[in-house]
Amino acid sequence: MHTRLPLPLHLQFWDLFLIELSNWRWGWRNLALTGTVLPMFGIILLGSFARELGAHALAFVLVGNLVMALLFEHMGKLISHFAYMKMAGSLDYFATLPIRKAVLILAASSAFFILFLPSLVVVLAGGAWILRLQLHLHPLALFVIPLCALPLAGIGALIGVSFRTPEEASAVGRLLTILMLTIGPVLIPPDRLPEWLVWLGFLSPATYAASALRQVLWGPFTARLLLDAAVLSACILISFWLVDRKMDWREG
Amino acid sequence: MNPSNPVYSISRLTKIYPGMNTTANDAVSFDVEQGEIFGLLGDNGAGKSTLVKQMANLLRPTSGVVKLHGQPVQEDPLLVPRYVGYMPQTGRALNSLTVSEALYFTSHLRGCSRADAKSERERLIQLWDLHEMRSKLCSRLSGGQQRLLQLAAAMAGQPPILTLDEPTNELAPQRRRHVWETLRAENRQRGTTIIFITHDAIEAEKIIQQVGIMHKGRLVAIGKPSTLKKQLEQQLRLELRFQPESPPDLPDGLPTQKLAEDHWLVRLDQHQVEATLSAIDLSRIDDFQLHSATLEDLYLHYT
Repeated sequence: MHTRLPLPLHLQFWDLFLIELSNWRWGWRNLALTGTVLPMFGIILLGSFARELGAHALAFVLVGNLVMALLFEHMGKLISHFAYMKMAGSLDYFATLPIRKAVLILAASSAFFILFLPSLVVVLAGGAWILRLQLHLHPLALFVIPLCALPLAGIGALIGVSFRTPEEASAVGRLLTILMLTIGPVLIPPDRLPEWLVWLGFLSPATYAASALRQVLWGPFTARLLLDAAVLSACILISFWLVDRKMDWREG
Repeated sequence: MNPSNPVYSISRLTKIYPGMNTTANDAVSFDVEQGEIFGLLGDNGAGKSTLVKQMANLLRPTSGVVKLHGQPVQEDPLLVPRYVGYMPQTGRALNSLTVSEALYFTSHLRGCSRADAKSERERLIQLWDLHEMRSKLCSRLSGGQQRLLQLAAAMAGQPPILTLDEPTNELAPQRRRHVWETLRAENRQRGTTIIFITHDAIEAEKIIQQVGIMHKGRLVAIGKPSTLKKQLEQQLRLELRFQPESPPDLPDGLPTQKLAEDHWLVRLDQHQVEATLSAIDLSRIDDFQLHSATLEDLYLHYT
């Protein structure tokens, strides 16, 4: 019996990336707007409190809001997207094609990330201007920023397909977002947090993402960047492994 | 067709949805042979879609096993996608794409080269007469147009097995006929195994080689339509059309089904035919037809 071999993974990725991108070709303006407005207001609001604490605290405000935007706009949108696909039966279409699940998640994540990039640039530049912070953008940022986004994508896809309804998945996503923002030094410097919360923060990928972002936006580089990159890479591997091996697209 | 070469082997397949007391599929067992056209009939809620979703590995069985070419489908997530083109009852996955893009991407993702995927797209647009809507967004298509697109997408890349959940739903009569003719041609020319669910028993009868009839989750009959019909062979259908204000007088005790105010269906044993026709005042009848049992009769008989 004649059957075709599955496409190589990079071709699967490119097709799925374009399909995922097409989902938003008429909605990208709304995405860009919501991805910009929320963190900008966060920066204005928290910046007014942190200004008297100096540049160090303001850097936490700017990066914290970038991470918050990543959590809401990237992880949150992926949760909604996968939960909706599951509810609407769209996952059935992908599940009956000879493609790898992890490639679909990677493609969806990349598409969302591309659409989030304009907001990220505006928030970064606008936030730095509002807070009067001097950025020292290092080329490694081109590597670190996607590294911060990808673990959240894997977690988002897992949550999106693991719950019965989009409402349940979104509620869990919001709770997780709040937890990730509040535990560990993401928005607030560690010296202003209770010690137990700082320690708890080591369990959250957002802590490592915020730390890595601060280093590539202002420096200096320390050994901590290696730790951050290693933990974020491990999060990507684990979440995508879970998605590929453990996530069951089949209904119960 | 090779009768000793099942592509699908379904064994004691049972499905109970979480939180439900009723059994959606109850110990269903059957084989589908390579190159066969297999039709699944049954009333609403009989468990047909549940069955094909398990065959497509989209639904986890409560117990029992589905084997494709001898291998349980759940063992390898890429097994079904490599062999089967699946058409769901509803599909919104392609909504953001144009018809042309949807067919290209589906063909390419099924393993066609870029050039082959473009040729496949053109073949399917031609086959299903989708020229006028090729640049249209899938979300803007009518219900019938979406069915045709889903059919075309299921066939993209020419998979050796097609599993189709109500392929003629929402289609106009001439489109329905075109679907059955195309599927029959696909089966003859490429030897494609076709498994489908339908309520369109009379039209589907022209192509079905093997039929399974489901009722309340159980497979109550399976076999060649001609073999199954032998059980009803003694029965004939007499259809009567008349003016509603003057219905015909029929001999007592005949099972009469009122299809409409002016349209009755009477099932007759052979020995009743002569007496019944003699008893009817033909001047009060606009039209009558007497014919042998159809697949629809089989379906009604078992359900």
